[in-house]
Amino acid sequence: MLKGFGNFLLKELKELARDPKILLGMIIVPMVIFPVIGGVMGYAIQSAKEQAVKMNIFVVNNDAGEWSIRFINFLKELGVQVQVLENIELKDENVQWLLSSYNATMLLEIPPGFSKNVTAYFSNPNTKAYLRFYGVITSASFFETAGSSMVDSLVNQFNRCVAPDVLLTEKSTVIKGEVKRGIDPAMISSLMMSQSIALPVTVMILLTYSVQIAATSVAMEKEEKTLETLLTIPMDRFAILLGKLSSSVIIAAVGAVAYMVGYGYMVNIMLSDIPGALNLDLASLGLAPSPAGYLLLGVSLFVTIFSALALAVILSAFAEDVRSAQSYVGFIYPFVFLPAFALMYLDISALPLAVRLLFYAIPFSHPIIASKAVLTGDYFTVVIGIIYVSIFTIVIMYIASRLFATEKILTMKLRFKGLKRRGTIVSEES
Amino acid sequence: MSLAVEVNNLVKVFGNIRALDGLSFSVRVGEIFGLIGPNGAGKTTTLRIISTLLLPTSGTVKVFGLDVVKNPDEVRKIISYLPEEAGAYRYLSGLEYLEFMAKFYAKSPDEATTMIKEAAEISGLGERLKDKTKGYSKGMKRRLLVARALMIKPKLAILDEPTSGLDVIHAYHIREIIKKYVRDHGITVLLSSHNMLEVEHLCDRVALINKGRIVVEGKPSDLKEKFDCSNLEEVFAKVVKIA
Repeated sequence: MLKGFGNFLLKELKELARDPKILLGMIIVPMVIFPVIGGVMGYAIQSAKEQAVKMNIFVVNNDAGEWSIRFINFLKELGVQVQVLENIELKDENVQWLLSSYNATMLLEIPPGFSKNVTAYFSNPNTKAYLRFYGVITSASFFETAGSSMVDSLVNQFNRCVAPDVLLTEKSTVIKGEVKRGIDPAMISSLMMSQSIALPVTVMILLTYSVQIAATSVAMEKEEKTLETLLTIPMDRFAILLGKLSSSVIIAAVGAVAYMVGYGYMVNIMLSDIPGALNLDLASLGLAPSPAGYLLLGVSLFVTIFSALALAVILSAFAEDVRSAQSYVGFIYPFVFLPAFALMYLDISALPLAVRLLFYAIPFSHPIIASKAVLTGDYFTVVIGIIYVSIFTIVIMYIASRLFATEKILTMKLRFKGLKRRGTIVSEES
Repeated sequence: MSLAVEVNNLVKVFGNIRALDGLSFSVRVGEIFGLIGPNGAGKTTTLRIISTLLLPTSGTVKVFGLDVVKNPDEVRKIISYLPEEAGAYRYLSGLEYLEFMAKFYAKSPDEATTMIKEAAEISGLGERLKDKTKGYSKGMKRRLLVARALMIKPKLAILDEPTSGLDVIHAYHIREIIKKYVRDHGITVLLSSHNMLEVEHLCDRVALINKGRIVVEGKPSDLKEKFDCSNLEEVFAKVVKIA
């Protein structure tokens, strides 16, 4: 054993254990945040399970030949709940009518000539038999791709039992009352899913990044001992505050643009995998925001970043140095992560009122709520969110400006020992 | 005689600490006035109040007739404050830092250029001004900051421990800069120091401060004579014992 190691380790552990910042950041916050995230995930999984239980296949058999019967029996033997309807010509209107009247999310058609084609395959393997699959896309959820992949899996199993590649599936997507033929619902669903993940993640990264910048920027003035000089030169103190906020916003905006470019690139790559998707009007299908939606989303993101920055400036005003400032802004993170993670999985309108109000009260929820609302054209929610966050920001800015206008910016320190006496004013040196 | 600074019965309380306890003194126009005393005596707090950084708990402070509480913005236009532990922006060059500061005071780009040239001369940093300040030694940084404080030709320069932490050569250089600048431009300097010997050579008048109060005030030579001491350090020791 290294000489003195034990003694030193004990000293280190004592110091770490007695540092309230570590206690708060490493122990208390995870103890609170993970059960909450766990609860959210549990709720999401429960809803998914309920959806999965409801899942069954409607088969419209327009073939009536031997192989169509065999195929249906094959599905039943595999334990799939199959409901068979016969001889219904599936035009676009019929598809929607059938799906809505049976409250189903997917439909499998065995078209006329199916059995004839399967039989023909054995003499000429170039002949293929086709199934037609219609999947409904309602809202962005992790679990809607299941239907399409389940059908793929069933068809593969059938092919393995009968002959390789004898069956192929033609897929169509039913979205917002329109049947888009040749478009796999799984692809659309994964695009929507990627949006429902990518936007909250982007917001989360942007907020944490800009908060760090602002906190560092204020704390650097203190750490490098430049703040005192700055406060005695003939410049408006509010200009110092605004300068700090604006530079952080600019840096964050550059970051935002970089993220959005990356995100747009990702969406394009995904769309290029969907045959015919480039001809779709993504905005009208709710897959991409309209120009007005983009604008509102941008405004929502901007005011939220500004509110986070103002909050970061206030917190870092209590800090002596960059390290402490970064610890202090750690208090903001749970409020950034919680809505981002939760709303990634959940639809806010489906939550109980109390939980919904809690999310609405957190300003950082609003760009995430907005990112979903603009897809559905619910601009009212977005505008209300923008107004709320703006008022929140004005209040925070007012407090921040008061801090900068008085001697408190120099003399205030956060004393964890005296949290009961928050914001104790102390002198560094007399 | 016109006064540059008038401090009357100044009190500053931080929580349960009485940092200044009825402090009064005045600084005449064109002189170098030294506030001297041990650490924690109240020098920095006094200078911070005069510089409009802190508010007094009670008492009044006037700078060239302007009340620091009622007219802080006007006061900031005529003063230049050098904090004891001031730094410069790490990622700016010395020149960029001077330019940044000059722009707050200069009325035209030409005036800013003149200020920067002057500061470059005061600092004596030469080509090193083009380097980022993070690479500066403590002495270089202090020279840059003194140059920044003086380049604007303030009516009152408030210098808190201007030679703090510097070696003999750098401290000497800084003192010479201050002396020369006051002589050439007729500005008033209020400085603090706990180095009484240095102040003795630099200041026209001094005030000895202890526990937030002025214990004695006058010309260094008069004080030495009055208390029959060979230097200010001895004067201080005697005064504190007497007080």
